[in-house]
Amino acid sequence: MENMLLVGLSRQMTLERQLDVVANNVANINTTGFKADRSLFEEYLRSPAHEDNFMHADRRVSFVHDRATFHDFAPGPSEQTKNPLDISIDGKGFLVVQTPAGERYTRDGNLQINNQGQLVTQSGYPVLGNSGPIVFQQTDKQINIATDGNITVLEGTNRIDSVRGKLRVVSFADPQKLVKEGSNLFAAGQGIAAQPDTTSRVNQGFIEKSNVNSVHEMSRLIEITRTYTKIASMLQQQHDLHRTAIEKLADVPA
Amino acid sequence: MRALYTSATGMAAQELNVQVISNNIANMRTTGYKKQRAAFQDLIYDHVRRVGSQASDQGTILPVGIDIGGGVKTVGTPRLMTQGNLSPTGNDLDIAIRGEGFFKIQMPDGTYAYTRDGSFMMDAQGRVVTAQGNPVQPTLTIPQNSSQITINPQGQLTVLLPGSSTPTLVGQIGLTRFINKAGLQPIGDNLFTDTPASGTPQDGVANTDGFGDMQQGNLEQANVEVVTEISDLIAAQRAYEMNAKVISAVDQMLQSTNGMFR
Repeated sequence: MENMLLVGLSRQMTLERQLDVVANNVANINTTGFKADRSLFEEYLRSPAHEDNFMHADRRVSFVHDRATFHDFAPGPSEQTKNPLDISIDGKGFLVVQTPAGERYTRDGNLQINNQGQLVTQSGYPVLGNSGPIVFQQTDKQINIATDGNITVLEGTNRIDSVRGKLRVVSFADPQKLVKEGSNLFAAGQGIAAQPDTTSRVNQGFIEKSNVNSVHEMSRLIEITRTYTKIASMLQQQHDLHRTAIEKLADVPA
Repeated sequence: MRALYTSATGMAAQELNVQVISNNIANMRTTGYKKQRAAFQDLIYDHVRRVGSQASDQGTILPVGIDIGGGVKTVGTPRLMTQGNLSPTGNDLDIAIRGEGFFKIQMPDGTYAYTRDGSFMMDAQGRVVTAQGNPVQPTLTIPQNSSQITINPQGQLTVLLPGSSTPTLVGQIGLTRFINKAGLQPIGDNLFTDTPASGTPQDGVANTDGFGDMQQGNLEQANVEVVTEISDLIAAQRAYEMNAKVISAVDQMLQSTNGMFR
């Protein structure tokens, strides 16, 4: 009898969760290297009631619940910044970052140099090259990052480039298995191996903007609010129906 | 509803973004100004259903999980330390650095500050000072009645004394560099101080060891590009509006819940 209320509630709860995902996407619309999330729903069928004396089998009631959120790994637009320490990755690759909790992966190429001369992310974690962190010397100037990730500088008054390392760019067979950790970092779970990526190209002087599409998010937002309101009014109608039924049926004739 | 607070973080971040952009635009004619940019990162995620967790005892695992993000945070406002354009002024004591390095300035309290603003003047004692009257290091005193102040690319300051036809060397303006110049702390008046993040100051001589050279009679303009700032401003404003829209959507949904079963 109250199934309608519960089915409606199951949808409203998933809508709330979907709105949380949209809100997070919109909040990160200007976050470098951010990858949008999408929600997936599935039908959940409740097994029907059984009783031998039933004339017909009870109908199954279908609820909805959220099955997953998945990452949209579409590339974000590149913005030219002309900063030599900004890089964007053209392709499926990720930069490898050394955090206290282990290796993490990021598409955020907004890099800095720390007081030890290491190439670091905005959070201060070293970005790894093929042989550990990339370290610059005091007298280095004109940092040049080639499309294959090779980093060269002019040291002091030298006229010939010195190599400071090569950025480790990795990719994953199934990037959906990466877990977002916040701080623009992705973590790979057990058994998910990072493969060296030779097809991705590194562009110096560019950063990859967030791939959140504002038009999509706004239309999704409208869809969510409209559906939510519609269910609310539907539940209201159901409630009115019950009330009228009770009033009419239980009306004691005078 | 979490979305309310998630969007609030988004609005706060964009507000800060506009603040940074407006400071860049306000300083677009400031000598030696280096533009800032707000850097954002996503906040931690609530892993409602963890990806890769076991879906059955047959060893099947969830290919995707449910991760709900909590919004955005500002991680820093790093400065873009690129070279600004040089504009000729014709003033003898205007110096622009072409390349790496900062001028070292002695503050009234004896500490040192660093600047790219080379619009220097002479004070009553003939010292080379900044617009605030703080002497450039090492302190140079230009003798009275001297003429034809010349500063060469290495920073050597020579003058012509009365009755002499050969220039006299007064001293050499030094430069200082940092391994992480984006880690310097701005203290206003176009000055920076060193921090643990910037690394220790390395004093040196212009045009040697990777230091830039000095250009007399020029000033370094701000490295702010108006087109970039304006397009960033538009993007920030739109992002702010969109976050506000999400908040009003949440409000609408809560309102319809409140209106139920009256």
